[in-house]
Amino acid sequence: MDTKENGENINAVSKAGNLSAGNNSHNLANHTCEGCGRSDLAEQERRRLRALEVVAQLSVIGALLCFIGVGVTYWVGGQNQFLGGFLAAGLALLGIGVIVIGKYFMPQGPFVEQRHEISSTVQQKQLFEEALVERGGSAFKRRKFLGVLMGASATMFGITFAFPWIRSLGPLPGKTLFQTWWRPGSRVVTVHGRPVKVDDLEVGGILTVFPEGHAGSSMSQTILIRAASLPITTRKGRETWSPHGYLGFSKICTHAGCPVGLYEEQSQQLLCPCHQSIFDVLDGAVPVFGPAPRPLPQLPLGVDEEGYLRARSDFLEPVGPGFWERTTA
Amino acid sequence: MPYHKKLIRMLLLPALLVLLSTGFAVISIYRNGSFAARTSLVSTGTSVSTGASQAGAEKSNTVSIPKSLIPEGHILFIENCSSCHTNTGEGSYRGPNLVGLGAATVDFWVSTGRMPLSQPGIEAVQKPSRLTRQQTLAIVAYVTSLGKGGPPIPKVNLKHANVSEGQTLFALNCASCHTITGSGDALSNRSFSSSLHIASPTQIAEALRIGPGNMPRFGPRTLNHKEVEDIAAYVTRFIQHPNNAGGVGLGGVGPVAEGFIALLIGLGGLMLVSFWIGDRQEKEESRDGH
Repeated sequence: MDTKENGENINAVSKAGNLSAGNNSHNLANHTCEGCGRSDLAEQERRRLRALEVVAQLSVIGALLCFIGVGVTYWVGGQNQFLGGFLAAGLALLGIGVIVIGKYFMPQGPFVEQRHEISSTVQQKQLFEEALVERGGSAFKRRKFLGVLMGASATMFGITFAFPWIRSLGPLPGKTLFQTWWRPGSRVVTVHGRPVKVDDLEVGGILTVFPEGHAGSSMSQTILIRAASLPITTRKGRETWSPHGYLGFSKICTHAGCPVGLYEEQSQQLLCPCHQSIFDVLDGAVPVFGPAPRPLPQLPLGVDEEGYLRARSDFLEPVGPGFWERTTA
Repeated sequence: MPYHKKLIRMLLLPALLVLLSTGFAVISIYRNGSFAARTSLVSTGTSVSTGASQAGAEKSNTVSIPKSLIPEGHILFIENCSSCHTNTGEGSYRGPNLVGLGAATVDFWVSTGRMPLSQPGIEAVQKPSRLTRQQTLAIVAYVTSLGKGGPPIPKVNLKHANVSEGQTLFALNCASCHTITGSGDALSNRSFSSSLHIASPTQIAEALRIGPGNMPRFGPRTLNHKEVEDIAAYVTRFIQHPNNAGGVGLGGVGPVAEGFIALLIGLGGLMLVSFWIGDRQEKEESRDGH
């Protein structure tokens, strides 16, 4: 009985030793040298490795169960937190298993692997040169047509791929940078296409409006503010632009093109949410703070006989941020 | 045995993860579960507040206030408002004229606790109202008896409101200042748009109609009564009870809070793990050294 057990023990030790080849056995030897009890240390090391093995096994089994949990949770309807929890725990357990195996059961370095010479020998080089000249050079010398075909196909490849590449740059902007869909007489409509009448907004009200037929056009979007009940002159020459206190300004910030939709009624300012440019509404939306370089273009407004608001013309200057071809300041 | 300690330490991380995710799951299940209960509470709250003054207002969409409240309102006005707005509500250098501003204006400022003002400043700060609903309505009755004009208190009924349409209208008209999560944000010159997380449907409708402070005014021709109800429904049902897929919304204030959590918990956790992975090397080096 005793001998059998001893034999098993020895087997286990050697097994562990095999598993932890390299550093672990090296450590064992070190400790023995220091004069501690040999069997004690061996026993300790054996237990340690067995415990670690159990940890690795448990982690991997746990990970397996967690991934099954992910599948089951997904199958029954996918509650987000359980999905995430199972996935996180599963990946963590799997990681722990891998790390434990890597740290304690894999042979530990340092390992040295000699690298072979990178450069080819002189003989190899000569052989290659000979082969190249013989096969390639002579082939093209003898079969000129093949060379021409080759060149043609390569050129075709270049030409064919130039088209999608150029196309990917998008359409030419044309006049769209300089003008919007506002035309003389365009009716002012809401985003749903409903025409705006002169008594639709109360004093202190705002509305995002578009030219009729182009509701939702991003370049034409205009913020309509009723700042008073009587006409307001924001600038010299704009005396007729604001019937019944209605002011229209391009909603596109002249700095980076964000929608300037934050109207502060008390201070009569428009605030751009992106970089905090502030425009003075009663002074023709001239920037009073922030990075915006120009005032928001003002839309000349008028009222027809039926009471609908109409544009007198397009914006007199390009809307939005500056661009290369822009000539006006 | 040091191995036991090491074992415990190793299992600590997955245990922590499981614990955390369970916590999040419980929180979110609790929140989603109580969603229906809370919205029903909100709607009953509305019917109570409008029910108090329902007489004679069945046809229209406005709340009418009984004239019998005027004497009580007069006393309350003198106690709480007259030091700035004067006894007759005409205003002084301390406070603006109130005559002709309408019932909705007075009700909004008083019921949201902005008035009586606790201290002068750029913005009147929202706080729990010191006055009961009846006392507020009494003040409204008194001020409206001083002069006609202004919008009446809208009667908001969310029973047939369309939350989806409300979201569209909210995104178009409100989100630019109040943000899409309704948390409010900074405006210019130290003013700010307020959070919508504690607004009642009636207060939302009033704010739209009167445009308090820097807020623009949305009249019945800009947003009709049905559209106002849709917005109020969206704010009270969704903005105030957001369906946070991740379990915790972190206040809905955007990348600052989310980035903080990601850096602190995410990156911090990764650092702890990498310390653990690398710590054996150090020990071995020190062991080899001595």
